[in-house]
Amino acid sequence: MGLFDSIRSVFGLSAEADATREADPEDLFGMSTAYVTMEADLEFVPVGAAALCFSSVDSTDFAAAVDEVETILHVGEEDTGTTFGRHEDDHGYHWVVLEDSDPEDLVTSVHFAADTFVEEGFGSRLLAAVFGFERPRDGARAYWIYSFRRGAYYPFAPTGRHERDNRLEFKLQSVLDGELDVDGDESYWYPLWPDGADGHPWE
Amino acid sequence: MEWKPDWGLRGRMVLTMFLLFALYIVFIGILSQYMGLFGVVVVMGLFSLGQFFFSDRLALYSMGASAVEEDEYPKLHATVGRLSQQADLPKPTVAVADTRVPNAFATGRSPKNSTVCVTQGLLQTLDEDELEGVLAHELAHIKNRDVMVMTIASFLSTIAFLIVRWGWLFGGGRNRQGGGGMIVAILVSLVVWIVSFVLIRTLSRYREYSADRGGAAITGNPSALASALLTISGRMDRVPKEDLREQSEMNAFFVIPIKSDFVGRIFSTHPPTEKRVERLREMAGEMER
Repeated sequence: MGLFDSIRSVFGLSAEADATREADPEDLFGMSTAYVTMEADLEFVPVGAAALCFSSVDSTDFAAAVDEVETILHVGEEDTGTTFGRHEDDHGYHWVVLEDSDPEDLVTSVHFAADTFVEEGFGSRLLAAVFGFERPRDGARAYWIYSFRRGAYYPFAPTGRHERDNRLEFKLQSVLDGELDVDGDESYWYPLWPDGADGHPWE
Repeated sequence: MEWKPDWGLRGRMVLTMFLLFALYIVFIGILSQYMGLFGVVVVMGLFSLGQFFFSDRLALYSMGASAVEEDEYPKLHATVGRLSQQADLPKPTVAVADTRVPNAFATGRSPKNSTVCVTQGLLQTLDEDELEGVLAHELAHIKNRDVMVMTIASFLSTIAFLIVRWGWLFGGGRNRQGGGGMIVAILVSLVVWIVSFVLIRTLSRYREYSADRGGAAITGNPSALASALLTISGRMDRVPKEDLREQSEMNAFFVIPIKSDFVGRIFSTHPPTEKRVERLREMAGEMER
């Protein structure tokens, strides 16, 4: 924590400033090569889906921004073949779920959607982009979650409804660190539990 | 999502902190003339440090609250987790207090070492959006490091109080013969204590407003926090009195303090609910413009 941050919190401004800080989609593209390493070194294949999680805002402008994102993804559907769906989860958070067998197209579409949010002035509401992986051998699931607040990735390997496989997560971190910008501080590796027993976090 | 920064609030907060700071400088200056200050400061420093490091456990203990696991309260945990993510905070410990008074508080000396506590009453009273609003308000306190700021702000005030209370015991120092020095020190301390008490309460109220704004920024929904505040303050009047008195010393931590008739507004740690609601509504309005 820098001096500037300390001063801001002394004056009671940190919460307001950080919660409305713009998203940092800079390192999102790291995933477009990371999926190769995931398969080659760790036997994890992409599940063919990725998702963008955002929290809503109680305003009309925000609803318009979400419509704009949908329109843009709809147009993209014809170019890349990436299909998308939208839904709200049990916690009241919104998801844009993208499906495509080509992981590179997924990364592009996620980036595109995120960019649109930023342009519409709601970048601060973007929470995470989630990329799903599966190990065919034992069906283990693992996710790379990009935190727009931190501007970095972190691994998430749920094993049950509220259990996570920390060993696998640290392994993912050690293998992919360098290729992806991995958040070195595990206290920011927030879980995104799936609602159902063996669904993805976005389901 | 944009709204005007509240420059009035920022200005008043800076002014209050400046006045407190100036008051303390004068206090130290005068005190060092009359008594061996060193011992007092060391003893009180240790005391404050202890308070600083144990305040969270103390607060939880006095509320009969205990930390809860993810599988006991999955929904509460998930909500706190996501709000922390939005606020860019590590997820704090989640605790629940077994009381019907609907309230919440946050403690902890740093963002990495903090706890958010809600009461059973709060979980039963509020709907999801309102609960989110209250939790975000508490996370804003953590983010703004309010426990640390208020501990530091109160440090010399505590010393002043102790000199007023026990000063006659410290007759020592250079002026042993003329006990007059000590009397002056006690009188000065009394004035400092009274003035700093008012200033600290004022500062505390400003920080509540800041946490309201921060909380609204985290959820993106100022109206939900406003309606939560109204729901809680409405419910508070109907909760049995014994319960209220039992917990009145926890007031500074609560999202809404327990009402008290004899303590004037100038001595209260929180702004009146109506004013907070009014400001939150203004924010909600600005978001539509």
